Amino acid sequence: MDTRVDRYSLVTSLENIVGKDAVFTRAADLLVYEYDGSVDGAVETAMPAAVALPTTAQQVADIVLLARRANLPVVARGAGTGLSGGAVPQQGGIIIGLTRMNRILEIDRDDRTALVEPGVINLELSEATIPHRFFFAPDPSSQKACTIGGNVAENSGGPHCLKYGVTSNHILGLEVVLPDGRIVWTGGRAAGISGYDLTGAMVGSEGMLGIVTKALVRLTPMPEATLVLLAPFADIDSASHATTRIISAGIVPAALEMMDNLTIQAVEPAYHAGYPMDAGAVLLIEIDGIADDVRGTGEEIATICAEAGATEVRSATSQAERDLLWKGRKMALGAMGRLAPNYYLHDTVVPRSKLPATLRRVDEISRDFDLPIANVFHAGDGNLHPLMLFDRRIAGSTERVLEASKEIITYCVEVGGALSGEHGIGTEKSGYMTMVYTADDLAAMAGLKNSFDPAGMFNPDKIFPKGYMCGEVRALRMQAMAQKLGIHAL
Amino acid sequence: MPSNESRVESRKSRERTGSIDGIVADEVVAPEDPQAVAAVLADAAACGHAVAPVGGGTALGLGNPPERIDLILSTLNLGGIIDYEPSDLVLSIGAGARFGDVQAVLGEHGQRLPLDPPGGADATIGGLIATARWGPLRYSNGTLRDLLIGIAVAHPSGTVSHAGGMVVKNVTGYDMPRLYLGSLGTLGVVVSANFKVLPRPRAEATIVASFHGAEEAFSQGNRLRGGREPLAALEVALVDDRWLLAARIEGRERTVDDVAGRVAAFCGGDIVRQNGWSSAEWWAEYVSRQQPTAGDHSVIVRCGGRPKETAILAAGIVAAMDTIDVAVPSLAASPGLGTVVARLELGAVGSRERLAGVQDVLLGLADTATILAAPPSWKQGLDVWGRLPEGFDVMQSLRQQFDPARTVNPGRFAGFL
Repeated sequence: MDTRVDRYSLVTSLENIVGKDAVFTRAADLLVYEYDGSVDGAVETAMPAAVALPTTAQQVADIVLLARRANLPVVARGAGTGLSGGAVPQQGGIIIGLTRMNRILEIDRDDRTALVEPGVINLELSEATIPHRFFFAPDPSSQKACTIGGNVAENSGGPHCLKYGVTSNHILGLEVVLPDGRIVWTGGRAAGISGYDLTGAMVGSEGMLGIVTKALVRLTPMPEATLVLLAPFADIDSASHATTRIISAGIVPAALEMMDNLTIQAVEPAYHAGYPMDAGAVLLIEIDGIADDVRGTGEEIATICAEAGATEVRSATSQAERDLLWKGRKMALGAMGRLAPNYYLHDTVVPRSKLPATLRRVDEISRDFDLPIANVFHAGDGNLHPLMLFDRRIAGSTERVLEASKEIITYCVEVGGALSGEHGIGTEKSGYMTMVYTADDLAAMAGLKNSFDPAGMFNPDKIFPKGYMCGEVRALRMQAMAQKLGIHAL
Repeated sequence: MPSNESRVESRKSRERTGSIDGIVADEVVAPEDPQAVAAVLADAAACGHAVAPVGGGTALGLGNPPERIDLILSTLNLGGIIDYEPSDLVLSIGAGARFGDVQAVLGEHGQRLPLDPPGGADATIGGLIATARWGPLRYSNGTLRDLLIGIAVAHPSGTVSHAGGMVVKNVTGYDMPRLYLGSLGTLGVVVSANFKVLPRPRAEATIVASFHGAEEAFSQGNRLRGGREPLAALEVALVDDRWLLAARIEGRERTVDDVAGRVAAFCGGDIVRQNGWSSAEWWAEYVSRQQPTAGDHSVIVRCGGRPKETAILAAGIVAAMDTIDVAVPSLAASPGLGTVVARLELGAVGSRERLAGVQDVLLGLADTATILAAPPSWKQGLDVWGRLPEGFDVMQSLRQQFDPARTVNPGRFAGFL
């Protein structure tokens, strides 16, 4: 095998596969591919050797084969909205941009499925299926821009995942290009396909096992009735107590979101969603289902909120009213620009009963580090998004943000939480993996990786702690063994 | 690493011998903690022994006959609740816990795992994960796949690995729980699992409409499915020469009552309505028909295709079996899912060749065809899992990575892995 493909022949070969207009190699064109939605400083940027924009699965496979010959890593990329550095090519190589594979190939109302290419934009899929009275349930905040392929890679969530589940619950099958260049289908329309659940393994694997070239997704019927409640509280504490009470009362709303005062300060003047400016926090609660149920559940939630100290409970049933209440939530990240030039958000998850204590801790950290932190998040899932507001032009501010992050993550893990609920690990949080997983746990994940990609060609340096896949396994094992034996230095 | 201590531990808990598909194991061990399970596996791997994990024993006939078994590993001593936070709606439980006992504990807090797999109350959590069976509630609640949020697995390498956690949303690393689900122990033995649990519905009712023909039952079933009534389960079944359309409704008292009334009026045919406990009982009996009964020669198969073609698949199976002199005494179809589970009687002349013939016919009709139960001698040499899946070599690599000596269940899983 020829492992030395020079730059000229690499470009020519790529152009032969996808055409001249679909290959980028000039520094100015590559600049944008050094980034994704992650924060500079939390994720190191890196420049690819080339970017190719294929339009067919065969082209993807041919690029993969070329990369193998050239001994170059491959990084698949959708819209680049990811927040954990998953699409940043840490070791250079070829970026396969899937945005030109953006066709909805089939919508099947009777089977309740859609067959889509990976570059289809999340919201566009729902817009295409709503006339058939169906929608694609995962609704990440970036849904106007992010792609289905990216959703699959990150196992994306969104507000409505509380009731409907995350991306993994909505993927029935995938056409995948494997690191050896073969194109295979995992899963499919029929239940009972034999063997391991490779679809389950692929979803959330951050582009490290295969490149999705088609996805067969489940469509969810539109509910008969939808009700949105807005409940303002004097402080975060009572809003989070209301949240845990709703969940422990056995109610599963479609969405249960919280915004704190700082978020309201950013959002309300910009979008006039009707959030009271003096509220310490608001809960935005959506219930859906058949009309009777929605009405009854709405009343129960209103009672719980009032008992927990809600200053009022406003309800919106018409589409326009509901959209307005949601607008503030969906635009929250963008509105943060009104408060500070930069923000950095985390994605930890805690057991829902730990929400009040966790939010108190976040507030402490905010004061300790003299760093404003806004909270706008999926309270019903226990999925926090503390947003640290800062100005990176001020020397040392990024470092302070990263230190505060570490404090937040440490606390969340201590109370039994997870590093990420929906954004993925990427390179951003790979250094924290040993906080939640032992060497044995990571070894099992490495077993999965090695079964698909023994050469480590797809999206290297993601998920696993730096250097893990190339030789630090033993060191980690030794460390774990030492811990077990109670030896502190080996 | 295999330790002498664990060998002693294992011997202490040694029980009677056991068998799977007629293959007898010399020894049964029932380790009492996850690390001991890993030690037993590592020991076996080092000696080249084959291990068959057994939980409640409700699905022992699932899979190809084992190539060999030296040791049966009972998980029944791994049954305790590890953590249960009713206010968080999450549960962590040992693999050896019986499904019925788990539901009882959850029930005390008005919660449940919304599952109704064959095997029922006696099946263990570990067994349900290993086999990934599901029941009619899949229509509204999905399967274990949608509830499993964390897992601990003992591997033949002698280690115990964990993945996921006790939160309902988690993308910290690969989704290992889903990889292990349905892998029949071939990547390791599940020692505990974490679940998201759900509130128990306040009320339930079942409408059963009886029809003379399949066509009428399916057409009403499809219309119900396309409508807006919230159903927990929807099945079309052949029982005692009658075609039944069964709809289960769960939820708030008034809603259940209203919906049941509307569904009954809509269905036509002979209607029977069951409420509350008797509704649950009706479904328990319904699902139990998909379990083999000890000592009989019946064969149970599951076929899958496109949901919208469920009626065609069911009719096709009945007709095709008739042409090869195979009786279909009962059949359960899930129009929302596209599956048909059928009990077949191959008669006195049943044999390996006959069963292979049945499988061929079913694979011609359906996308997937799994023989869920059959007399062991008829299964010899057949891959009961049906078609070899795409990406099978990746699966072989997985097996090689996790269990290179093929210590657990050699030959029983898809493609004789």
